[in-house]
Amino acid sequence: MVDNEYIQTRGFHNLFDKDRKCWGFQFGMRTKYYKGLWLSQFRTGNAIVDGVVHPKASLIWNIHGIDYTAEEMYDRMDQYWQVNEHVYVKVPKPGGLKQGYHEVAIEFGWVNNYNTATEKEYDGSGLGMMGPMSSMGGVEGAAPHRRLLLVW
Amino acid sequence: MKRRQFLKSAAGIGAGLVAATAVAQETKKGHPKRGVSVYSYSQTLGVCMTLEDCFADIYDTGATCFELLTSHIENYPNPTTKWIDHYFGLCEKYHLEPAELGHWAETHLHRGPMMTDEQIVANLNRDFKLANLLGFHSLRTKITCINEYCDPEPGWQRYMEKALPLAEKYDVAMLSECHSPTTLTRQHISDYLEWADKHNTKHFGINVDFGTFQNAWPEDIYPPERRRWAGREYSKPEDIIKVLPYSRTCHAKFNFVDENFEERTIPYNKVLQIIVDQGWNGNLVSEYEGPRRDDPGYLGDQLRRHHILMQRILGY
Repeated sequence: MVDNEYIQTRGFHNLFDKDRKCWGFQFGMRTKYYKGLWLSQFRTGNAIVDGVVHPKASLIWNIHGIDYTAEEMYDRMDQYWQVNEHVYVKVPKPGGLKQGYHEVAIEFGWVNNYNTATEKEYDGSGLGMMGPMSSMGGVEGAAPHRRLLLVW
Repeated sequence: MKRRQFLKSAAGIGAGLVAATAVAQETKKGHPKRGVSVYSYSQTLGVCMTLEDCFADIYDTGATCFELLTSHIENYPNPTTKWIDHYFGLCEKYHLEPAELGHWAETHLHRGPMMTDEQIVANLNRDFKLANLLGFHSLRTKITCINEYCDPEPGWQRYMEKALPLAEKYDVAMLSECHSPTTLTRQHISDYLEWADKHNTKHFGINVDFGTFQNAWPEDIYPPERRRWAGREYSKPEDIIKVLPYSRTCHAKFNFVDENFEERTIPYNKVLQIIVDQGWNGNLVSEYEGPRRDDPGYLGDQLRRHHILMQRILGY
């Protein structure tokens, strides 16, 4: 089961390497769309946490337990991200986040071709034509965000 | 009941439907089946409801059939045999038959130009097989469009011609949805009907979403942020007549049924009377698109009201 929100309560914690050194943090999210997406339809942007922009190219998207960069997802016509499945965004940040509340936002959208014009950025560099930030092809809204409490 | 037995009984029901059609044609009155689209539960399924919860809710409406989307198939496009058994178990437990599977004819799954016809048809064939396995004979096929009126992307005839023999092989009808703001008089609807006639096929046609008939946007149902489409062009109820022979399933879209069991935005009495008078015996699957879709109690109440509305018009 998932939260009603885009950004999920579950999955928010720091990340540690095999030497127990903190290299970043992660949070969970979902599209809230009624249709699942092939990974190649998904479009990503920056993560903004406590006002700090973590650029698109630095983010790691963990779907079905596998890590992907934005570039790697563009070619995955064979991986289906079903509705209401969690996806985790891993953000590299040496030392991670401190215990306490944090403002987390993530930019994303997707490509769907059944009630709007086709995608403008054929190289996938945009945020697609649908999603919480788009309305029928125009990027309008703010990135989905949520105040989350981190314990570790 | 094992799956093979279930499918045999579904075929038996299908044969019964053919017989009912013959009777209906003789009497010139249709006997469409009442159903519910699991799409209605999009904001509750996976949040506070399981698929079984949805089926239990549908059972209470007196509906006898359902629509699933590929969104609702665990591990799509490769559901496990465990899930498939669970699915048929739910069908049996709640006395529900598969009516329509909603899927997408994707043509832009990678950056750059359109996919090749072979890629498109391979994906469609995958969905045909899955629909056939799960007992569906209607598909709500979303064809790639180029605008909000769902005018199709050029080239659709080319890959559809290649897909059609496979749809016929697996006995699944590809039904393109006529969905608001598209009206039934839009040119591409006529083009689709002509294409079906040209190929002499019953496996390509239209799913009429009743939102195309919406002619009212009451302010108590549509606050300012939901009035984007208010006053748009809509289909007249009689516009459905030319399309019915090409349809096996329609989306009985509704936005709000009041306590007198009247739908406040769509002329249901007229549309359903036409359907019955034309002798149509397809599936009518409720699709709720009104407020508070994330509230299972409110949603469930609206679905029950909708089925009382249809029951009173249809007489069953």
